[in-house]
Amino acid sequence: MSLPSAEVAADFRDALQDLKVNSRPEISNLTIIAKESTEHAQAISRELENHIKTTRPEWKLPALYVLDSIVKNVGTPYTVYLGRNLYRTFMDAYVLVDEPTRKAMEGLLRTWKQPVPESMDPRPVFPVEMTRDIENSLIKFRTMAVQQAQRSQKPPMQQGLPPRPASNANVPWRHNPTPPQNATRYTPSNDPRLRQNFPPQHGTQNTPQMPPQNQFQPPNSGFTQPTASADLDTINADLDNLINSAKTDFAQNPSDVPRQQKLKTLLDLQTILKTRTLLPNQLSQIQEQIRQLAPPTAPAPSLPPSLPVPPPMIQSPQQAPPPFQATNPSFNLAQILAAARASGPPPPPAQANTSLADLLRRTSSPMQSSGTPTSVAPFPLPFPAAPMPPAPAPVPTPVPVTPTPAPSLAQILQQFGKSQPVPAAPPPPSALQFSLPQFLAQQPSTPANPAGGAEWLLNALKAQNMIPPVGASPFPPPFANAPPQAEVIGQPGSAALNAANDVELTTASMKISRPNLISKLYFAVPNQCVTCGRRFENTPQGKEKKARHMDWHFKVKDPDLSKRGIHRSWYISEREWIDYREVDETAPEQAVNGSGSAGAATAPKKETKDQYVPVPTDPTLVHAPCPICQERFEPQWLVEANDFVWMDAIKVNSKIYHATCWEEYSKGANLSVPFAAPATPDSVLGKRKAEGVSNSAEKKLRA
Amino acid sequence: MTTLPGLPGLPGLSLTAPSSHEAPTFVSQSHITRTQELPPGTEYRFEVSFSCRLSVKLISGTAEYFGTELAPNSKDPYLFSEGTKGAIYTWHGCKLELEGEVESEYVAEETKMDTYANAHFALEKVREQAAQHNDTGPRVLVVGPGNAGKTSVVHILTSYAVKMGRQPLVVNLDPRQGMLSVPGSLTAAAFSSIVDVEEGWGSSPISGPSPIPVKMPLVYHYGMPSPEENGGKYFKPLVTRMALAVTSRLEVDRAARVAGFVIDTSGAMSRGKGGVYENIEHVVSEFSVNIIFVLGSERLYSDLSRKYSHRTTPDDHVTLIRLDKSNGCVDRDEDYMKQFRQAQIRSYFFGHGENTLSPSTHWEDYSEMSIYKVAGEINPAFRSGDDEDDDDNAYGTSPSIFEKVTPSPQMQNSLLAITSARASDSHETIRDASVIGYLYVADVDDAKKKLRLLSPQSGRTPNNAMILGCWPEDVPGLVS
Ligand SMILES: Nc1ncnc2c1ncn2[C@@H]1O[C@H](COP(=O)(O)OP(=O)(O)OP(=O)(O)O)[C@@H](O)[C@H]1O
Ligand SMILES: [Mg+2]
Ligand SMILES: [Zn+2]
Ligand SMILES: [Zn+2]
Repeated sequence: MSLPSAEVAADFRDALQDLKVNSRPEISNLTIIAKESTEHAQAISRELENHIKTTRPEWKLPALYVLDSIVKNVGTPYTVYLGRNLYRTFMDAYVLVDEPTRKAMEGLLRTWKQPVPESMDPRPVFPVEMTRDIENSLIKFRTMAVQQAQRSQKPPMQQGLPPRPASNANVPWRHNPTPPQNATRYTPSNDPRLRQNFPPQHGTQNTPQMPPQNQFQPPNSGFTQPTASADLDTINADLDNLINSAKTDFAQNPSDVPRQQKLKTLLDLQTILKTRTLLPNQLSQIQEQIRQLAPPTAPAPSLPPSLPVPPPMIQSPQQAPPPFQATNPSFNLAQILAAARASGPPPPPAQANTSLADLLRRTSSPMQSSGTPTSVAPFPLPFPAAPMPPAPAPVPTPVPVTPTPAPSLAQILQQFGKSQPVPAAPPPPSALQFSLPQFLAQQPSTPANPAGGAEWLLNALKAQNMIPPVGASPFPPPFANAPPQAEVIGQPGSAALNAANDVELTTASMKISRPNLISKLYFAVPNQCVTCGRRFENTPQGKEKKARHMDWHFKVKDPDLSKRGIHRSWYISEREWIDYREVDETAPEQAVNGSGSAGAATAPKKETKDQYVPVPTDPTLVHAPCPICQERFEPQWLVEANDFVWMDAIKVNSKIYHATCWEEYSKGANLSVPFAAPATPDSVLGKRKAEGVSNSAEKKLRA
Repeated sequence: MTTLPGLPGLPGLSLTAPSSHEAPTFVSQSHITRTQELPPGTEYRFEVSFSCRLSVKLISGTAEYFGTELAPNSKDPYLFSEGTKGAIYTWHGCKLELEGEVESEYVAEETKMDTYANAHFALEKVREQAAQHNDTGPRVLVVGPGNAGKTSVVHILTSYAVKMGRQPLVVNLDPRQGMLSVPGSLTAAAFSSIVDVEEGWGSSPISGPSPIPVKMPLVYHYGMPSPEENGGKYFKPLVTRMALAVTSRLEVDRAARVAGFVIDTSGAMSRGKGGVYENIEHVVSEFSVNIIFVLGSERLYSDLSRKYSHRTTPDDHVTLIRLDKSNGCVDRDEDYMKQFRQAQIRSYFFGHGENTLSPSTHWEDYSEMSIYKVAGEINPAFRSGDDEDDDDNAYGTSPSIFEKVTPSPQMQNSLLAITSARASDSHETIRDASVIGYLYVADVDDAKKKLRLLSPQSGRTPNNAMILGCWPEDVPGLVS
């Protein structure tokens, strides 16, 4: 068995999504993926064609370079697969892109008529028939374009998006059913990549060279209308409505658990919105989710399928594709929430599905707290237990394996850092171990857990010398007689976890095997992040930390902001390093290393342009340009803040200015700059303390 | 790392893909997914080549890679590439799903993990004491001959400490292999977050988010292959400088103080001369090392115990412990190490795996650059290796540590360390200055007196003092 094509293709597509400039490393990377996955060449080729077809015109060229790089560097079978639709791939893109891009494409086409440079193979990159067809069409196209231009001296039609019809104005635009194909209902509009606010240079308005003939914009396709409107007020209003109706609903069916849960969930969501600052795309996702939860409304005003379109200038043999048709199925919160909603409340704990852990739990009861399943289940049991060896009475017979139930909305909310006691029907332990990214990964594609066994657990017990090797004797009689087993896997307060660390700092002491100590590295810290493997304590603080940790995973995955021209940072100076405090993503607030106010008093003043503010979550602020120069802010990731920030920015009276603009202005206006300079050491470049280290250190060393 | 054959210039692109060796053999992929069961206490050892990769998924049970626990059943498998040689160990037994090509693989039942875990718990005890008394935690030095598993043990000790919520500092004094930076550098960094599995020690900061938290190294440039070069004349003052920085950090950073530090060294340091290990002694005294782990050499152990056993006062007491060498250690030849280093240099500029970075190139006038090289340095190929000429007080005060060099075509393909010192600073200041980054000389146009430089960042390069080392080796064709 090898990786399913779909998965490889999805990875490839993800990588493609980030390709917005001619980035050599990215193109190389994609080529490498293609090269290493030739057995999935067909799927990859399809992704690539599709991406070229659907991505914005200004991003088509880099994608074509990927195609070019793959066919030249990998060759077959890609030349075969990509060759099949080459005409269409090329022409469809060609008509949409601007003049310089067309020139570049023609350049590419020329190289495809040649053999691969420095290659032994004398044949051209693509068979001549293919390139000739394209060339013929290009000639026709150019001729007609000239004629067209002569016929009508009309100014080019307004480019980009058809304006949103006025009738829609009072309905948040997202409330319309998303694009034409309802089969992929959640996919298109939910892709967070599509809801990002494109920085101005990528704005759809900036593509005036686009020929108009293919502007069959699905008016609500989400892509075309960047979500300027992930607006907190709208969300809150919508949420209020939902809550009201859920309340009514619940009042009428007070014993209905799903209804109760839904209400609770909505209330929690409301709390989150009120208490937490969310990134714009998180807001969008929540808005999306609310949309999904909303009772079916009257059908959205239907719009004409296309706006008046001039007659096509070329007779393309194919029907023009709907541009920007979003086909990225990468999962996101909203989708998951939708999936969770669809599957109803979490089913009751899978008690029937007896696992070894269950048995252990039952038989070791006195000292254990009967809290939530997480605190009981010592560590994630990713798999339904394997059938137990024959054992006396209390052990139920094995039952068929059932898939882990879909995670509930409540669990997702938990990931947002709000601990929510799940009423009535606590999910099974394994479900609680899910993380947001895992939801992202696993919903709704597959049941969470493939079949597996608990044999490793048995092995673990054996390894800890708690169970004699198989064959020495059958399984030890009832577990009740064997409390140590329960201890080994980490019941809170068990002796094993408190096992005294008796290792001496001697060579001899190193050689004694001490399996009991190992649980300090494992089951003493039972709550594991499935994304990175980091463990957390099973305490309220541990859970809080984990929630923040999951938030962090979520944040760094933020597809909007991640991959534009990332580069290696300069190293910090000696002085900075000494003063640097490691950033812990699980700490409540990063008040160190300059982002907070802590230490501001003693710290040297920050250079004006090095000042920053975290990207605001307030939707009006996030879209507001600098009031002085009217330029927009560019989000960027700042390691020392462990967050997305706007550099050279300062917040004054609830407005955000460029720090440098503000300084200029306040100088002129004779204002003082009303902020405490955050603590950050000398600028990284150039400056360096001649005496890098303190005298006391010096003394200490010399002593 | 898989590489591309040099791409003939594509329109619109200025950089070609880094290529590690001339003709990458592209093995047609069989890509058979296989499962591998590991009984408790065993490890799966593997070696991947520079042109293939191995993907590993933990299906059930627990598993760790040099101390870092693998995420259970995660969506993304772990990808090992760039010639990684390593082992996935399991305390409790596990099932792995493997895919990809390996040069060798086997399951070993005999490992030294018990010993290494004990070493960790012994240090942990010292840390507990330190925490109680607000004292300094264990100050550990790991020594041993080449390929004895020193770096692997440092890795395990670090990962375990992190797992227990500690924040140890790690100091790399081996210029043959970089830690969070290029080879030729000596670095120190605090580890408070999970230690990367796929990319050695992980990544230093980049301008975007990173799926594994980045580590913040302090970097110095050494620029020679062995600490013993020039009789340690250049190495020792750098060690002194780093020790000052590390000691200062410990003084002001409580988490670091309690956790202490672990120093990784190069095998050359453990060779010694006639039973005397000058550089080890220097490191022990500068860093106030109080625990030495000796890996895999009886002789070294007994030489060192002779040296340190008489020290009994609590202040200068040094505990010496011998750790068994794992028989999983692979002897890596120079050819391998060279490719390994080039991969490290590439990932400094271009990133690793999925995290691609976008360096940039620009031309710079000769006149804008202040480049130094260590005085009297000759091509390492001609060096005898054990010149015993001077005694140690010759270093540190010499007026001409460096000589200034004008760029020349010979510089092509080499690395320049941008120090944080000004061009006008004294030689000592330049030597002791930490490094802010590295440049790669992609091209030299001697006629126009210009250099084309590959820089991690766009924009002009600061005109600080730069050091041209004879090490690491040139990397041909990083950019073309
Ligand atoms: N248990 C193991 N199983 C498989 N490979 C291992 C194991 N331990 C170490 N190795 C590999 O063996 C090689 C040598 O180990 P390591 O780098 O730790 O030795 P070293 O003493 O630091 O070497 P050097 O002196 O060159 O720095 C490395 O490639 C390492 O990944
Ligand atoms: Mg090493
Ligand atoms: Zn994690
Ligand atoms: Zn401004």
